[in-house]
Amino acid sequence: MRHRKTLYLFIIPALLVIGVFFVYPIILTFNMSFTRFQGIGKATQVGLKNYDRIFSRDRYLEAAWVTVFYTVIVVTAMNLSGLFFAAILHRLPMIRNFSRAALYTPSMISFVVVAYVWQFLYSPLNGGINVALTKLGLGAFTQNWLGDPNIAIFSVAFTQVWMFTGFTCAIYLAGFAGIPEEIGEAGRLEGASSWQRFRYLELPLLGPAITVAVMLTTIGTLKTFELPYILTKGGPDGATRMLSIEIINNLFGQYKFGFASALSILMLILVLFVAFIQNRVLRDRENTQ
Amino acid sequence: MSAADTSTVKKTGRKFDANLLRRRVKLSLAHGFVLTLVVIMLLPLVYMVMMSFKTSTEIAQNPLGLPKSLYWGNYMEALSSMGYVRSVLNSLFVTLSVIVVVVFAGAMAAYPLARIKSRASQLIVMIMALGLATPNFVTITPIYVIFRELGLLDTYLGIVLAFAALKLPLAVFFYTGFIAAIPIELEEAARLDNCNNWQIFWHVIRPLLAPVTATLSLFVMIMVWNDFIYPLLLLTDKNKLTVMISVYKFVGNTGIDPTKLFPAAVLGSIPLLLLFAVFQRKIMSGATAGAVK
Repeated sequence: MRHRKTLYLFIIPALLVIGVFFVYPIILTFNMSFTRFQGIGKATQVGLKNYDRIFSRDRYLEAAWVTVFYTVIVVTAMNLSGLFFAAILHRLPMIRNFSRAALYTPSMISFVVVAYVWQFLYSPLNGGINVALTKLGLGAFTQNWLGDPNIAIFSVAFTQVWMFTGFTCAIYLAGFAGIPEEIGEAGRLEGASSWQRFRYLELPLLGPAITVAVMLTTIGTLKTFELPYILTKGGPDGATRMLSIEIINNLFGQYKFGFASALSILMLILVLFVAFIQNRVLRDRENTQ
Repeated sequence: MSAADTSTVKKTGRKFDANLLRRRVKLSLAHGFVLTLVVIMLLPLVYMVMMSFKTSTEIAQNPLGLPKSLYWGNYMEALSSMGYVRSVLNSLFVTLSVIVVVVFAGAMAAYPLARIKSRASQLIVMIMALGLATPNFVTITPIYVIFRELGLLDTYLGIVLAFAALKLPLAVFFYTGFIAAIPIELEEAARLDNCNNWQIFWHVIRPLLAPVTATLSLFVMIMVWNDFIYPLLLLTDKNKLTVMISVYKFVGNTGIDPTKLFPAAVLGSIPLLLLFAVFQRKIMSGATAGAVK
């Protein structure tokens, strides 16, 4: 069929854009990662030196670990909170649409603005959270939310969970809406409690929604940059220093394009690995249920 | 209330029923509980708006309470010195340009991908999926270098193409799924009339794509409005900055002044909040597509 072959011509504009601004940059990153390059002038070939530096110092492996740890806690909390709201709102149709839109609103605000506002909420002296705690008589719980190395990463994570709880909630509500109504009704007639219906009837049918929500939030969370960049600048003491922050600091603070490229390749491998594993595990689980 | 609940109400009628009463109380408690939680989730936004109306002395003395009066001075100051209107126009212009590129290139590429299942099309879909998962900060290093070589730094063309490449994979996925669901008989009829591929695409397929294009345009707008790394590093000319970068440059990153920060934050967020207020259903259903098999 002749028209089939010419049909491929339609892909050319997209391939050009993707080729020049995505595929070629990835190849270039790979090449640059074996060089010392200041951004201008000539790049010097240094072989595996950049990678050797990454793997011989704790600093960069720690940044990779912070990235992974942060992603795990954010994705877990975000999905639990979204599922919690969705499970309840599914049973309360009167306020469902309003609540879904209200919860979704924070994700419309940019990371930059969210980070600025929460920086004020977290500030130790006059910050909204500590002042509120004191006024409620819970002064003992006030913290240096962003300044304490043990707490900072959870504070940043909490901000991100706050932003995207509405997102996961909307996905789970769509999942609930896809469950045939007879199933819930059958459970009610059998005298199953709300929790039993959720646990044994609804949760097993939410497979596709869980897959979508976990995959999207994981990919999204691995991309985290703005929140720690503005909230903590990677501090205190490297507690929130993720690979993203390392890359940008090497790039535009120190003009180490070669080293930043090597870190980018490490990040890319991490993203690919996570996406691949997740796809496998979640799809398998969905199929066996 | 679901169908089952209302039917019980009808059966028991006006007769007093302790069970029903208990259910009612439980239900209103549940409503109150959830609404309280939702309001708590919105408090940071309320805080942002309240703070934007306070003078600096008020912020120091009363960091949490309502502002004494609606003090507009902060907004006047922000509006006059952050280049707000200019940056809103920049963001709109960039948004529209990215939409044009992404819609055309995306819909065109999706047509063969939806119709032909081959190794080549699978490979392209895989590259697109990889593009979707890759963080901005991974590609910014080489893009910066490429842009300098090509003279694209600090140009509208450059930022438009860079953003288009970010959202093109999403466009291809949206359109491919949608086109695959269009009955092939429509095309076959046109082919019998001797239409070529382009005519079929333009006259048969394209007119059906409006709903996807609308969702996609909203997503592009949200990204262009909120994205940070690309415009921060690729644009330096004050007259070309997008909204978030002008907020960032106005506020700064050290020794932040709340009387500057909060009005800038509100001004920076208002356009998208309005967009969300009008198109919330479309935005949320677009974001949650794929949750149900």
